[in-house]
Amino acid sequence: MASALRKVAPALIQRAVCKNSAPLFFARGAGKVWQPDKEYFDQFSLPVMYPDENTSSWKLPAFNEHAVVREKQVQNITLNFGPQHPAAHGVLRLVLTLDGETVVRADPHIGLLHRGTEKLIEYKTYTQALPYFDRLDYVSMMCNEQAYALAVEKLLNIEIPPRAKWIRTLFGEITRILNHIMSIGTHALDIGAMTPFFWLFEEREKMMEFYERVSGARLHAAYVRPGGVALDMPIGLMDDIHEFIGKFGQRLDEVDDLLTENRIWKARTVDIGVISSEDAMNYGFSGVMLRGSGIKWDLRKVQPYDAYDQVDFDVPIGINGDCYDRYLIRMEEMRQSLRIIQECLNKMPEGEVKVDDSKVSPPARKEMKESMEALIHHFKLFTEGYQVPPGSTYAAVEAPKGEFGVYLVSDGTNKPYRCKIKAPGFAHLAGLEKVSKKHMLADVVAIIGTLDIVFGEVDR
Amino acid sequence: MSKYIEKISRLFRIIKENGGVLGSVRTVFRMEELKTGTLVGEDELGNKYFHNPMYFVGRSRWVVYSDAAGHDYDGSQVPAEWHRWLSYISDETPDKADLPKYPWLAKHTENQSGTPQEYVPYSTTRPKIQAWKPKTEEVYRKHF
Amino acid sequence: MASVKLFCARASAQCVLRNAVRPTYVAQERSCYKQVGKPEPDMRWKPIMDRASQTVFWTELFSGLGITLGHIFKEPATINYPFEKGPLSPRFRGEHALRRYPSGEERCIACKLCEAICPAQAITIEAEARADGSRRTTRYDIDMTKCIYCGFCQEACPVDAIVEGPNFEFSTETREELLYNKEKLLNNGDKWEAEIAANLQADYLYR
Repeated sequence: MASALRKVAPALIQRAVCKNSAPLFFARGAGKVWQPDKEYFDQFSLPVMYPDENTSSWKLPAFNEHAVVREKQVQNITLNFGPQHPAAHGVLRLVLTLDGETVVRADPHIGLLHRGTEKLIEYKTYTQALPYFDRLDYVSMMCNEQAYALAVEKLLNIEIPPRAKWIRTLFGEITRILNHIMSIGTHALDIGAMTPFFWLFEEREKMMEFYERVSGARLHAAYVRPGGVALDMPIGLMDDIHEFIGKFGQRLDEVDDLLTENRIWKARTVDIGVISSEDAMNYGFSGVMLRGSGIKWDLRKVQPYDAYDQVDFDVPIGINGDCYDRYLIRMEEMRQSLRIIQECLNKMPEGEVKVDDSKVSPPARKEMKESMEALIHHFKLFTEGYQVPPGSTYAAVEAPKGEFGVYLVSDGTNKPYRCKIKAPGFAHLAGLEKVSKKHMLADVVAIIGTLDIVFGEVDR
Repeated sequence: MSKYIEKISRLFRIIKENGGVLGSVRTVFRMEELKTGTLVGEDELGNKYFHNPMYFVGRSRWVVYSDAAGHDYDGSQVPAEWHRWLSYISDETPDKADLPKYPWLAKHTENQSGTPQEYVPYSTTRPKIQAWKPKTEEVYRKHF
Repeated sequence: MASVKLFCARASAQCVLRNAVRPTYVAQERSCYKQVGKPEPDMRWKPIMDRASQTVFWTELFSGLGITLGHIFKEPATINYPFEKGPLSPRFRGEHALRRYPSGEERCIACKLCEAICPAQAITIEAEARADGSRRTTRYDIDMTKCIYCGFCQEACPVDAIVEGPNFEFSTETREELLYNKEKLLNNGDKWEAEIAANLQADYLYR
C-alpha cells in the first residue's frame, strides 16, 4: 500500500501543480487579450489565392442537391435578471442578452423604487426635506444627511460648531463601516461565501445600536441637521464606540483570512469587471469604483468637509480595477475608518452641537419653555421654517459608495426651488453595460455586488 | 478540568431549576432554550423576569411569559414598566425605579390585532355635514 | 488689432492670476494614498515555491475552515426574541402616544405644530373650545401608514404631548387598524406613560 502510494504521489502532485499552475505564473493571465503576433502574420506570407476575374464567378457546388436548405434564424437569449432575483440587490431589473452564457448586452431597467424625492423636496421646508435623505441610500444614512446639511449650510453661509463637525465625522465613518459591511457581506453571499455575511451583520447590529442611541432610530436617523446635529451624544456612547472599534479589527481580520487569499473568492473576483482608469473617469464613476482603477481621488482629501482636514488617514488605491481590488479597498477603508473614529473619539471637543443662531436651529426645550422669545422662534421654525438666501450651490461628500452630491437652488423662500441629487450608484449602474460585457452570466452577479448598488439612491 | 466540571454541574443545576428532565423538556418546547438566572420580579400579568449577567447584553435579561398565555406568548405582553428594564433602557427594576403612578394609567394590554377586541378607527368629531334624508317614504305612504 | 491685443493681455493676466492663486485652493495631499491591489507576482524561486505549496496543500482553504470551525465553539450572537429583547435607548422612536398631565388632563392644546412640521403629512388635527373654555382637539388622527417616524412631531410639541414612545410591537393584521385616532393615541399614552415619562426624564439634559 505504502509503496503504491509512494509511486502515485509524485504523479498526484504533478497533476495538482499542472491544474492549478495558472495563477502561479500568470496571475493576470486570465484577462489578457490576444494580440496578432508574428506567427499570425506569417501565415499570410505563403501563397494565397485571391478572387480574380475568373474565380470570382465560380459557384460553390450545393452541399446536397436533393436536400431543401432552410434558412434558420439564430437569436441571442434575452434573460430577465430581477427584479425579484435575490442577487439583483433590491429592485434591479437587468435585461441581459446572452450568447450562450456570455453577456452580449446588459440593459439595466430602473425606476421601480422611484418616489419622486426631488420633486417632493420642492414642496417641503428645509427641515422637512431632511428625512428624505435617509431614505435615498438606505445603508449609508448619515452621509446623505451630511451632504444635504452641508449644502444648506453653504447657502445660509453658517459655520457649525466644532463638536458638531466632529460628531458628523465620527458618524460618517461609522456609516462607512456600516455600508462596507453590507457591501462586502452581500457581495460574498452572492458569489458563494455565506459565512462572512453572518459575522459582519452581527457587527452591523452593534453599530445600528449606536445609531439608535444617538438619534432614536436604527436606520432612518434624521440626526444630522442643517446647522449641526439634532442632539448631543449621550454619556457613555463614546466609551462603547471605543470598545467596539477595539474589537472590530479582529472581525475584519477573520473576514480577511477567510476571503482575501481564498482561491474560490479569487477565481470569482480577480480580473472580473475590470474597468480602466480612463473608462472609470469617462463613465463618471466615483468612490471605490474610481479608486479601484488607481485614480487618486477622495473628496475627504481633495476638498475636506467637516473635520476631515483635521484627521489623519490613508486612502486605499487599487491597481487592476477589478472586483478583487475593489474588495481590498473596501476592507482597507474600513480599517482607515477605525483610525478616523479613534481620532474623533480622542479629539472630540466640548461645546455646542448646534449653531447658535435661533433663526436656523430650534432652541433647547428648557429655554423654549421659559423664554418667550425662544418660544416664538420655536413656533416660527417648526411652522414656516427658515428662509435661505437666494442662490445655488453644490455640496458633495465622499459617501461610502462614491460622491454623493446635492445641488440646491434657493429662491429666498423657506422651501428649496430645486434639489438635484447626484447619486453615485446611478453612474455605476449606467456603467454596468461597459463593465459586464463579455463576462459570463455568473460574473454579472459579482459585478453587481462590487458596484454596490442601492436602489434608494439610484431611483430616488 | 474544574472548568468542565463546573459546566456540567451548571447543566444539572439548570435542569433542576427547570423542574427536572420533564420540566426541562417542556421549557425547551416552549422557549427553545434552557437558561438559569435569578428571578428579579413578576408583573401583574404573571410574567416572570430573570437576570443573569453571565450572558452577554441582549441575552442577560429575559422574560418567561405567564402560564396563562401558554403558547400564545407575544412580545407585546410585556407591560411598560418592565419593558423599560427588559430593553436595557434602565438597569432599575420597576419596583426600585421611581416610575410615576397615576390613577388614570391604563392597564396593559397585548397587541390585539386580529382579535375581536382589535382597534377599529372611528371619527372623534361631530360630522360636519348632515346627510340628506329623502322624503320618499312619506310620499309613498301618502299616495299608496 | 489693439483690442485683440488687449483681450489677449486680459486672458493671459487671468491665466497668470489663476496660476498664482492655485496653490491656495488645491489642498490635495498626494502622500496619503495607499496601494492595496496585489502587484505582479514575485517570480523568484522562493515565492513561487510558497505559492505552489499553498496551492497544493490548500493552506488558505484549511485556515479559513479552521476559523469557521473556531466559531462553532463561540457563544452564538442570536437573541431569543420574544423572551429576550435587544437593547434600546431612551431616545427610541416607536409608536406614538398622546400624554396627559399628572392630573389626568390631556396635554395637547391643538397648536398644530406637529401637523405643520410632519414631512409625510400624516397628522390631522381639528380643534374646538371645550365647555370649560379651554382649547382642545376634537380630532387628532395619525395615519401610521404614512408616518416615517422621523420624530419631528415630538420635537415640535411645546407641551410634550405627542411623543414617540418606546413600543415597537404594534404591527397589525389590517391596514385600517393603523389609522390611529385621538382615543387610541391617548390610550397608548395611558398604557405607556410610566415608561415615557422615565425616558423623557433620562434624556432631559440633551433635549
